[in-house]
Amino acid sequence: MTFVQKYLAWGAGILALLIALVVAMPGGKVRGFDAAGFGNIPILEGGRVKPLDSLARNSLLVIHGSQGFRYEGRGIGPDEWILDVMFRPQVADQQPIFIINDTEVQSLVNTEGKKLGRDNYSFADLSSHLEEIQKQAQTAQPIAPQKRTRFQSAIVNLFDRAYLYYKLRNTLQLAGSPGLGWELQSISDPEASARHQDLMQLAQFRILPPTAAAAPDAWQNVGEGLRVMAAGQGVHPALVPLARLNAAYVANDATSFNQALTDLKGVVATLKPGALSHANNEVIFNRAQPFYVGLSIYFVAFIVLCLSWIWKPELLRPTAYALLFSGAVVHTLGLAARIILQGRPPVTNLYSSAVFVGWGAVILGLIVERMYRKGFGTAVAAAAGFASLLVAQNLGTEGDTMEMMRAVLDSNFWLATHVVTITIGYSGTFLAGAIAIGYAIRKHIVTKVDAETDKALVDMTYGIICFALFFSFVGTVLGGIWADQSWGRFWGWDPKENGALLIVLWNAIILHARWAGYVRERGTMVMAIFGNVITACSWFGVNMLGVGLHSYGFMDKAFYALSLFILSQLVFMAICAAPARFWEQKPHSKA
Amino acid sequence: MIKTLASRTWKFFKSFQLTIVLLACLMALVVLCTLAQVSMGTQGAVNAYMRSFFVWWRTSALPFPLPVFPGGGLVGLLLTLNLIAKTLDIQRSWTKAGMWLVHAGLVILFAGEFVAGMMQVDTNMSIEVGQTVNYVQSYKNLELAVIDTTDPAWDEVYSVPDTLLAKGGAIAIPGTPITLNVKRYYPNAELSNLATGAQPSGATAGIGPGVAIVERPTVTNDNEMNMGSVLVEPIAGGRSYGIWLASMALGAPQSFTHEGHTYSLSMRLRRQYLPYAFTLKQFRHDVYPGTDIPKNFSSLVQVVNPSQKESREVLIYMNQPLRYEGKTFYQASFGKNDTLSVLSVVENPGWILPYVSCVLVSLGLLVHFAIVLRRSLKRRQDKKEG
Repeated sequence: MTFVQKYLAWGAGILALLIALVVAMPGGKVRGFDAAGFGNIPILEGGRVKPLDSLARNSLLVIHGSQGFRYEGRGIGPDEWILDVMFRPQVADQQPIFIINDTEVQSLVNTEGKKLGRDNYSFADLSSHLEEIQKQAQTAQPIAPQKRTRFQSAIVNLFDRAYLYYKLRNTLQLAGSPGLGWELQSISDPEASARHQDLMQLAQFRILPPTAAAAPDAWQNVGEGLRVMAAGQGVHPALVPLARLNAAYVANDATSFNQALTDLKGVVATLKPGALSHANNEVIFNRAQPFYVGLSIYFVAFIVLCLSWIWKPELLRPTAYALLFSGAVVHTLGLAARIILQGRPPVTNLYSSAVFVGWGAVILGLIVERMYRKGFGTAVAAAAGFASLLVAQNLGTEGDTMEMMRAVLDSNFWLATHVVTITIGYSGTFLAGAIAIGYAIRKHIVTKVDAETDKALVDMTYGIICFALFFSFVGTVLGGIWADQSWGRFWGWDPKENGALLIVLWNAIILHARWAGYVRERGTMVMAIFGNVITACSWFGVNMLGVGLHSYGFMDKAFYALSLFILSQLVFMAICAAPARFWEQKPHSKA
Repeated sequence: MIKTLASRTWKFFKSFQLTIVLLACLMALVVLCTLAQVSMGTQGAVNAYMRSFFVWWRTSALPFPLPVFPGGGLVGLLLTLNLIAKTLDIQRSWTKAGMWLVHAGLVILFAGEFVAGMMQVDTNMSIEVGQTVNYVQSYKNLELAVIDTTDPAWDEVYSVPDTLLAKGGAIAIPGTPITLNVKRYYPNAELSNLATGAQPSGATAGIGPGVAIVERPTVTNDNEMNMGSVLVEPIAGGRSYGIWLASMALGAPQSFTHEGHTYSLSMRLRRQYLPYAFTLKQFRHDVYPGTDIPKNFSSLVQVVNPSQKESREVLIYMNQPLRYEGKTFYQASFGKNDTLSVLSVVENPGWILPYVSCVLVSLGLLVHFAIVLRRSLKRRQDKKEG
């Protein structure tokens, strides 16, 4: 590698990091309104204090499937969207953000002779069918999620999304009412108390921080604030600036809006100073989207590495490595940010386990690449990092990924030891499987016999399987000890425990079969690929069964994805096991 | 001849083939057991696949079940023998010390699961706030309780386990003049009000004559309960008191009087009385603010043990069970608007074994890695020098 090549390679890595930094920068004002500043306001929702920006992003993700959308030729971000939903529902209701894929549900909400197959609906489109949607959803809801028909799942899903939207537009003011300022003025109207009641019931979040006299968790929603006020127990200091903010946004008066926002933040800063800085940090994390950026960098790194096999390897291979490295930096920073924001070890739910499995695989891959320098470590790590972050992106569409831990999981010690160790075991098994897939494909593509590379690949796989066996065994035993500590039994043959045990057993079988000489190169590799199937089943399949003490995350859509994955792995096993006459290893003839 | 047989057996038990076949069998069992839990419930599936020596297949074509696959017990036993043979076979030198420790640890781990499978008893204790309870009850097993309720201050309880009822025949109740003549036992049954023309239950006393009874297949699912029912004829002093129907599906106990003693009959979950009692003083169900996501469940209980002259308060909460007199009480469930707390109770005499195993295996792996590391460092050193 020449001097120039080295600098070019690391230049690419640094460029990737700079791009990641640019993404994290705050955006400009929307029509003069400080929408981003509005997103910084801390609220209490789902049991934790978070910025409004997080709520907006997660709600939009649940309702629309992504964190932004285009409307009338302009990109609309989560902060602007939530402002419109809460203060100008007449505008937000027209935006076609509800995506409906199920044709039966489409025909249900599509009585006005609109063309079928149109899959974007606005709340205004749905509003005349809300009763029907609710009726259908209520019939389907008592049925267990595994047993619902496609239509039932789709209608429940649509109802949940529409209801979330409905709650959001009735949280800070009742939609269609003149606004919060008017509520404050007409506080003693005879009908006011019914409205306060509605606001309390529909509120999706609590925006009024606890006053000095109240308990530290006692955040209030606007309805509660109004009721306290109506009872003559004083006006919450945040209500007035919030009402001004509301009025200014409706009146399209950016200057007053920004002023009211400053005042509101002043109130929050005196009542709950920690919340404001926490919210600010979380907004930076939200904006930076480190896992999305990391995913993109891994993708580029993988492409660059693939290119390196056909063009300028001495330049492109180190470039790919540098890119992988900067992807890992972004990934690590994102993981660290989550740990700090949440005050929890890295793995707390399925989403974060996917993020962590990817991280483990990438770090292992970087180490393997340093040891062997053949480009395989880079390729496999980039592919594994990309795939697992992609899985994480799909798992993260169900709302807040930093949700609070259910009672039995509320133990940082065990989350940090058992869960982390076992997840590293998953990473290792997947990485070994990924290398084996690379080996299998290579056998069929590469035209010259290269026993040295083959041996290096097998050595890598073997080493990683040893590593994975160690971590999955220790993780499983730690899990048993946690179970004994909290449930009084070490082992209960619960599906999740069984899943972990299967990984241990499979890795043990591979190693013993190899030690005894029953399998050699190719056998080990085929078995390593099957490790992917076992790990995926134990990771996700168990949650689909819906039994046992561990079944805290059921998913139905993922079932098809899992089946497809298993099928693909079986195909790779077949490719790997195909006899030598299928291989492309003959002298290259220039015809 | 004998020598060759012995050496063949030895060879068989220490072979890698056996290890791999057994590990594969274990994997298959684990997968089957996991899948079966959906329909059979955790306990049912574990008993069928893991805590048995064979997996039995029942078919209507044959009167007896067929063993179709080795069960967890057999596989575990063979694997343990295989492990022991392997451990003994590992070269006795310091370089293999790590592997020795690892395999010895695994033997102990398996032994622990055997002890758990044979001797672990899972029961539970439901207490309402303010109530005092001095027994634990089974999840599934039933008993017919015969209670002498004559003294209002003191109940004398005699119980007949369902296993004994199932055998039928005459059962003398020790300490009383009563003998129970079991007419018929239904492991699971459905009871209904007797419609005109329907087949009566066969009972002649109590509520039984007005009830129709239909036998049902037994259930093993975690959230289903067998409505065990029995037709019994109490005989005392040569006199029959009629045939009574006792059932899990019947609420109130029924009673008869013999020589001034009133005895009540009822089917209930099998109880084990304890020499100590728990009083629930407070139950808490904390949620995260503004949500219904549970944050913590805790039961504040007063433990009163007269034999130890002990009376103290204990807080049982998530991840913090109470270990007392060989039993572990952990917070498992709740009900009745947060006024009822359900503690699961586990008694496992072998609970220490997995800990011992864990220490041995971890130590073994560390030793082994240290040895391997030292060897590779030495090799590298030699390369440099040579």
